[in-house]
Amino acid sequence: MGGRGMTTERRAETAAERDAIWERRLDAPHDVWAVFLQARTRDPHVHVGDVHAPDAEMALVVAKENYTRRDPCVNLWVVRADEIHATTASAVHMFDSATDKSYRFGGSYRKQQQVYGSAWRLSHRDEDQ
Amino acid sequence: MGGTLAAIADPAIRAAFRESLLRAADDELVIGHRHSEWTGFGPDIESDVAMSSIAQEEIGHARAFYGQISDGEEGGGDHLAFGRAPAQYLNAILTERENGGWESSILRLVLYERYEAARLQWVSVSGQEPVAGLAKALLREEQYHALFADAWLTRMSRGSDEGHTRVQTALEALWPDALGLFEATEIDAQLLATGILKAGPDAQRQRWEAEVCPVIEACGLIVPASPPRTGGRQGRHTPDFDRLHAHLTEVRRSDPEARW
Repeated sequence: MGGRGMTTERRAETAAERDAIWERRLDAPHDVWAVFLQARTRDPHVHVGDVHAPDAEMALVVAKENYTRRDPCVNLWVVRADEIHATTASAVHMFDSATDKSYRFGGSYRKQQQVYGSAWRLSHRDEDQ
Repeated sequence: MGGTLAAIADPAIRAAFRESLLRAADDELVIGHRHSEWTGFGPDIESDVAMSSIAQEEIGHARAFYGQISDGEEGGGDHLAFGRAPAQYLNAILTERENGGWESSILRLVLYERYEAARLQWVSVSGQEPVAGLAKALLREEQYHALFADAWLTRMSRGSDEGHTRVQTALEALWPDALGLFEATEIDAQLLATGILKAGPDAQRQRWEAEVCPVIEACGLIVPASPPRTGGRQGRHTPDFDRLHAHLTEVRRSDPEARW
């Protein structure tokens, strides 16, 4: 269980090599499974932690007791952690903006939603149930 | 006396039904206690948590059944759970055996869960409310218990020669105790005659074997031909139970008047 070991670098590399690598497979032991939990229907599956298990069925069996005892759940996914590809730490700059793009941030859209919220909810009230 | 039992007019039938629910409660309490002994000692943290959770649920079932039959009685459910002498407990011997290895506890879970699910099933169609509705609700949890047990059994017995041998040894040790779950007593005939119980111990055992044997045989294990070991349903227990009882009742005996 827990998230240890999932982002450990694989081998010694030169700084230049390391900087050039922007994505790689997670370096997790083969028996580590990432657990994704869906709290309610239509919610996204969220990574809640890992389990050790020899195969997918056993991973689901133990994930059920370890991650759904205290929180609501309608569906579980398990994926071998070493099958997950991730951007590397050196690629973090990729997510930075060179210019101010705060107009794209969800926050301003959410503010609009607050303003128009009641009208939006009224027009979508059937889907919202 | 209220609730489920109050609805039964005939005192003999009422006593028989009470006894059948007491068996169920005692089975759940005792096997739940055994499962809880794995807390902190499981083979890995994941299964340690899962087994502890199963223990909690079994003890929760025991509590619910004690509550059904102790309504209005002195001391209530706590007295039934912790205040009786060993010979007054009616759990089957299978449930009281020391854990031994993980394979032994898992195998017991495989054998017991089918029995427990069938029992909850008959209580749920016994026509006796509210316990029938309670049994139906509890049934939901037993499905996972069997799933967990089967998953482990399959992997231990199909994994390596050592695992296979250990599971077969555990099966030979526990099989007579498992058959003891179906120990026939007077109350079974009484409940059968009234229609509260739909199948007697022999028919129950046949149905159970039809469910359990394929699981065992699919693992390449050989079902023993040994005869049942009985006594638990009449309060005749093993030394394993005396030790468990002493441990289980220790806190309550230290101050029987305390309010929790």
